[in-house]
Amino acid sequence: MVISVLIDFLLAAGMVVLALQVVSDKAVLRSIILFVVFGLVMALAWTRLHAPDLALAEAAIGAGVTGALMMMAWRRLLIINPERPADTPLGRSRLAVPVALLSAVLVATIGLTALDVESPTHTAGQVAAEEMTATGLGNPVTGVLLLFRNLDTLLEMAVLLIALLGARAISPPASPEEAAVVETGTPLVGALLAILVPLSILIATHLLLAGTHEPGGAFQAGAVLAAGGVALILSARLKPGERPGIVMQLGVTVGLIAFVAIGVGIMALGETLLVLPGTWAVYLIETAMMVSIGLTLALLFAGAPALVGRRG
Amino acid sequence: MIAEALTGLVFIPLGVTLVVLLLPDRARGPLCLAAVLALPLCLLPLTEAVWTNGDITLVLAEFAPPLGIVWRLDGLALIMLWLTAIVAVPVSIHALTSFPPGQASGREFWPLWMMLLAGINALFLSADLFNLYVTLEMITLAGVAMIGIGGKALALKAAMRYLLLGLLASLLYLLAVGLIYGQTGALDIDLVGERLQPGRMAATALVLMTTGLLVKSAIFPMHVWLPAAHGNAPGPVSAILSGLVVKVSLYMLIRIWLWMAGDWELPAAATALGLLGAGAILYGSIAALIQPRLKMVIAYSTVAQLGYVMLLFPLASIEAYRAASYQLLAHGLAKAAMFLAAANILKSLGTDRLIALTDLDRKLPVDLFAFTLAAVSIMGLPPSGGFLAKWMLLEAAWRQEAWGWLVLVSVGSLLSAAYLFRVIALTCFHPGRRHASTRWQTPPRSATNAALILALLAIAAGFTSAPLLSLIDGSLPPGGIWP
Repeated sequence: MVISVLIDFLLAAGMVVLALQVVSDKAVLRSIILFVVFGLVMALAWTRLHAPDLALAEAAIGAGVTGALMMMAWRRLLIINPERPADTPLGRSRLAVPVALLSAVLVATIGLTALDVESPTHTAGQVAAEEMTATGLGNPVTGVLLLFRNLDTLLEMAVLLIALLGARAISPPASPEEAAVVETGTPLVGALLAILVPLSILIATHLLLAGTHEPGGAFQAGAVLAAGGVALILSARLKPGERPGIVMQLGVTVGLIAFVAIGVGIMALGETLLVLPGTWAVYLIETAMMVSIGLTLALLFAGAPALVGRRG
Repeated sequence: MIAEALTGLVFIPLGVTLVVLLLPDRARGPLCLAAVLALPLCLLPLTEAVWTNGDITLVLAEFAPPLGIVWRLDGLALIMLWLTAIVAVPVSIHALTSFPPGQASGREFWPLWMMLLAGINALFLSADLFNLYVTLEMITLAGVAMIGIGGKALALKAAMRYLLLGLLASLLYLLAVGLIYGQTGALDIDLVGERLQPGRMAATALVLMTTGLLVKSAIFPMHVWLPAAHGNAPGPVSAILSGLVVKVSLYMLIRIWLWMAGDWELPAAATALGLLGAGAILYGSIAALIQPRLKMVIAYSTVAQLGYVMLLFPLASIEAYRAASYQLLAHGLAKAAMFLAAANILKSLGTDRLIALTDLDRKLPVDLFAFTLAAVSIMGLPPSGGFLAKWMLLEAAWRQEAWGWLVLVSVGSLLSAAYLFRVIALTCFHPGRRHASTRWQTPPRSATNAALILALLAIAAGFTSAPLLSLIDGSLPPGGIWP
């Protein structure tokens, strides 16, 4: 009992200190690294709060993919503006102190008001737990995401596609030299990739299949898959391409295509919009979503509309 | 038939996006235009159903709240959906000329525009606080990306600022949704309205939500992102942003205040919201009066015109509710028309600096006519939609003997007349000097007609008040509007 309180206290204190360092550190790169550490501690906090699905998502997306994207952005900034040394101290914004104070007041208010709120007696969460047995799925989070509130998930996939389309619309395509950072001639790279990439596919598949009964699911699996893609991009096995071909376009949309085809197509059979016809549909949609999420995140990392394999 | 029509509103634009991504650039524009033309067809049976039987509810995936999500269509939502469909058609026709098929900019525009449209329609249908958050994210992200199309430095900077403030606003809203779920165990707006008890927690959530939505709607003093974003975006995108996107979060604000806290008495908060509206009207109008560029005048005019909607809160009454709904509709039509006309002028002359806009009545008579018609509605001159909205606001203020608000509405109208007549006077000015600019291109006829049609519709909204008002009256919030 005492130990668990102590662990919770250490986690909470650690997160506050890390968050302070992330925003106050003068070197951008160190801020990014600290942000990744913050994400990992956050993931631990979610496990302490008995939310393993969130912990997985936080570790894979919050710490992993977001960290990689920020590092890439930092590198591109350096390439665009090589004059500016990497560790130029950032000027502090005039708004920093007011924003910090406002945030503190907000946190204090919410903390104080939360003390005297009674937990509601009938929550959607309880209904979800009761309904789970009828669905044939073991993980209530998957039940909520794919069955009970699947319009949210469908539109979240749309948000991800919009993010990719937006990045394509705004950013100029990256040159191949920008993306590759590893000496491609080193023999160790090939050996490492031979382990890392199959491993990422294996873990992604496990997370996906486990997701119906245990923590996991398409979002976490997609992020792990993207990590394999990032390794291939960094080692120049995959290079940024100029125009997305039909395969690339199908890859980023297949999750939405499967979701819409089943969820809307079911109306032809006289069912209500977004009723899924069985567990197989959940598996199918999740697999398609995993592919789209993984590919979209890898494309965002490469900062390119398409990826092409290295020839020869 | 009803379920199919509701589905079509969201899934036709969304499905078309998935299809056009696989097609060559040339096919994108025409196919998306066809999808936009299908939206009014979906709305016709829905309008008939709402007219005869009242609100429509669709339980998605057969999981009723509190577990699942429902779509709920009432008169207010229906009017907003019609506004969206009606603005979307001319804007898409205009976009066919501004983003011609085969050009790189058009390649990115069409899928983003369709996704934005799907998000807007899904938002107006949704009756679920978290689902509203997701749709709002779709709208904000697509809007940000569309501002940056073309890659102008000013536009990119404005898009970045909009993105950062928009994300902050989304987070505030999401935090409030979490607090509300923690207290009520539900996300459906009607259920939350029944279960949410006034108290410190509810007040915190309401303040957070309102702040987030005010930032998204660019209500003074949270308007800082709007003028640069709307003033520098590509022509049709400005029309979409000012005509539709800012309305979306105001609509949510009305829903949340009247449907979730409808029977609470919050006079101080209502007055505070009204004062923000007053600030928006005065500041936006005066700023519009001193702008050197046409699109910036129109953008600041949006800041001012949105302020009128906020007067719903202090004047809470059926007249004010009618006025606010009508203002959303009329301003959407008129502002989209104005931005399309401005886009034609900008493209034709290569600049939209006001001092360069002389002689327009000779060079671009139809575009100037469209601009002027839209200006009539914005100023609130009869007969136009804008006139009715402001007239009903005056009526609401008169009945409650709220003389301060009455004076504000009148002064606001005078100021809008001032900044718009300034533009119109300049465009009809004929400098005698020889070195006046003589080079201009006639814009494509379809682009001119798109602006003209929208402007005519903004005027026509002044004549079609009877059916619209009965739809609006049929959608009064369950708890009533506080006195």
